[in-house]
Amino acid sequence: MSLCQNRLTEERKQWRRDHPFGFYAKPYRTPQGALDLKRWECGIPGKAQTLWEGGLFKLDVTFPDEYPTKPPKCKFVPPLFHPNVYPSGTVCLSILNEEEAWKPAITIKQILLGIQDLLNDPNPESPAQAEAYNLFKKDKPAYEKRVRQVVRENPVL
Amino acid sequence: MLEPPASDAFTTPPLTRKRKAAEATLVHNETTAATEASVALSPAATGTPASGNSTRKKLRSAEQDPGTDSTSGISGSFSVPARTKSTDLNTPVSTTMESDEDFMSIGSSPDDFLDTQGSDVESLDDFGDDFDGGFSKDKDIIATKRKPYEVESSVLSPEDIRQQQNVQINEVSSILKLPPESSAILLRYGRWNREKLIDSYMDHPETTLEEAGLGANTQVNPRTEKIPGFVCDICCEDGDDLETYAMRCGHRFCVDCYRHYLRQKIREEGEAARIECPGDTCNIIVDSKSLGLLVTDDLKDRYNALLMRTYVDDRDNIKWCPAPNCEYAVECPVKQRDLRRIVPTVQCDCKHYFCFGCTLSDHQPAPCVLVKMWLQKCEDDSETANWISANTKECPRCHSTIEKNGGCNHMTCRKCKHEFCWMCMGLWSEHGTSWYNCNRYEEKSGSEARTEQAKSRASLERYLHYYNRYANHEQSAKLDKDLYLKTEKKMTSLQSQSGLSWIEVQFLDTASQALQQCRQTLKWTYAFAYYLARNNLTEIFEDNQKDLEMAVESLSEMFEKPVPELANLKVDILDKTAYCNKRRVILLSDTAENLKNGEWTFNVDW
Repeated sequence: MSLCQNRLTEERKQWRRDHPFGFYAKPYRTPQGALDLKRWECGIPGKAQTLWEGGLFKLDVTFPDEYPTKPPKCKFVPPLFHPNVYPSGTVCLSILNEEEAWKPAITIKQILLGIQDLLNDPNPESPAQAEAYNLFKKDKPAYEKRVRQVVRENPVL
Repeated sequence: MLEPPASDAFTTPPLTRKRKAAEATLVHNETTAATEASVALSPAATGTPASGNSTRKKLRSAEQDPGTDSTSGISGSFSVPARTKSTDLNTPVSTTMESDEDFMSIGSSPDDFLDTQGSDVESLDDFGDDFDGGFSKDKDIIATKRKPYEVESSVLSPEDIRQQQNVQINEVSSILKLPPESSAILLRYGRWNREKLIDSYMDHPETTLEEAGLGANTQVNPRTEKIPGFVCDICCEDGDDLETYAMRCGHRFCVDCYRHYLRQKIREEGEAARIECPGDTCNIIVDSKSLGLLVTDDLKDRYNALLMRTYVDDRDNIKWCPAPNCEYAVECPVKQRDLRRIVPTVQCDCKHYFCFGCTLSDHQPAPCVLVKMWLQKCEDDSETANWISANTKECPRCHSTIEKNGGCNHMTCRKCKHEFCWMCMGLWSEHGTSWYNCNRYEEKSGSEARTEQAKSRASLERYLHYYNRYANHEQSAKLDKDLYLKTEKKMTSLQSQSGLSWIEVQFLDTASQALQQCRQTLKWTYAFAYYLARNNLTEIFEDNQKDLEMAVESLSEMFEKPVPELANLKVDILDKTAYCNKRRVILLSDTAENLKNGEWTFNVDW
């Protein structure tokens, strides 16, 4: 089995054995019903005691053939209102950038926890969408109002 | 804050000296200009055989035998003040730099290294020969010979660069009592600023090591291990005979994954100096020993090549030669902030002349900033716009651009059919009976438009004056170069036709090289002149420019003569070549001196 497949199989085992509360992560199935280990459907809950509490945000994670040498691509579906999320929904985070802090030893669990942290702690140094970034910089009350609305639209089931 | 008083204290005495020297140059220039007038006659004089010969002889003696003729006496004494000046001035100037280097500069300089050498006697022996020791020895020899427009520089081969690195690594290693591979990481982290690095290490050894990606405890001999019950976090393989490796940070992975990771970093990402441990959030840098243990030889070569590249990139006083396929680098102490006063042309061992400041080809006498402005100006279409404004007008109604192609002043816009007068831009219908003759000429709006247009036209003409000459020299240099490629053939045929030996036809090669160099210089004098504000100095400059240009053109003409005539022209060509070179030296010396002393005034801010 290839390094990529092997590692993903192991990741899945680990996740099923133990994963953080409120999260979910499972590989998609192909139309034929087989597991597609390279595409995962994940859910990230908003952290307790933050603006994002009570929301659950759906994320598609796609692994390249070079995984774990290269990082997976994480995309909120539908795109999320957040300063570090591109209009396409792709997350901009240093550990997801192979030229920055990506390391082959980073696991899916760490990625999802990292993105959860990012929700309430945006990085104004690398804005990815104008709307959320401008509100975040110039009009905090309006920004927070929007976040609460986003949380209402994406409730924990 | 410390700088102004310090530099003041240093520069006051040299300034007065400089001024005197500058006055001396003025006098010399006038006298040389006077003698040049007679010299310039020579091509015409050669037309009449009898007098031509004597002129030629006189000319030759003037140029080649020092002391026999008044001309050479003058040109000889010209170079004397230049020489004394350069030694006089350079020393205090460089002292100033050193002193503010200590306070202000972050980048390292060769002087820094010299300082520490003094304090560290042990290392002086192995250090002196190949790096700065050699440098300072050169300084003594070259400084006396260097012309005002030349800068001190030395060429480094890849081997030299490797040695320079090793010497410094070993130095730091022995001072800090660290293994060489750790010192290398420290030095790369500190961008090779040894002084600062050692200080920072002495003050806070732990933080420095931490920030450089070393961690406190150093490792003795790296080796791979088999560890029972180990599972690799990257590939999730396990097995009791799995070879594993961990650096001192303890993040252990199987050798295959480690190797794969390093290959990816080196091959795909071109990273070498700062490859971190593959462990999550671990910033320990992979050292050369660990790397050597894990990767194949071809990857090691690539790794070392990348390290060398970062070394040269990190050092402000070393630059790669920009010539294609050249693998040398040039070391030169000229700093970025000196570029307003110096045009540091250096020569690589591959024969390429380039500017150390901007790595473009030699552009003396024009300073880098002006060169950049000039190239920008020539490149973008600002001058097209200038032409449009000088030669066209806009239709007062639909604003289409119109060029008047002759005929009367009654304009009818082709687009909107608006009829107006070209002179006053007013409605044609208002012209009443004065058909074809605008008598509203003296109106204020009309006269304003006219002065605006005249101004624009004048500035366009000025630009074109300089640009045409600049472009002409560029073009001629290309043609001369084509000729140069044919020179060899010419030389062979000259050998067979006139019975001259190989060594005797070398003058063609020399002449061709002189032509190239002089044209390159001339080309840039025009870009330089475009930005010069007129004063007495520009008069001298233009005289020098004219002298060189005339000499170059007549040499170029001789050079193009058919092969059978060349043998007879040998003496003339030799004379002219020497003369061209001399005029070039004079022109460059004069401009460089004035630039250094801040004597030029420019019509732009830069």
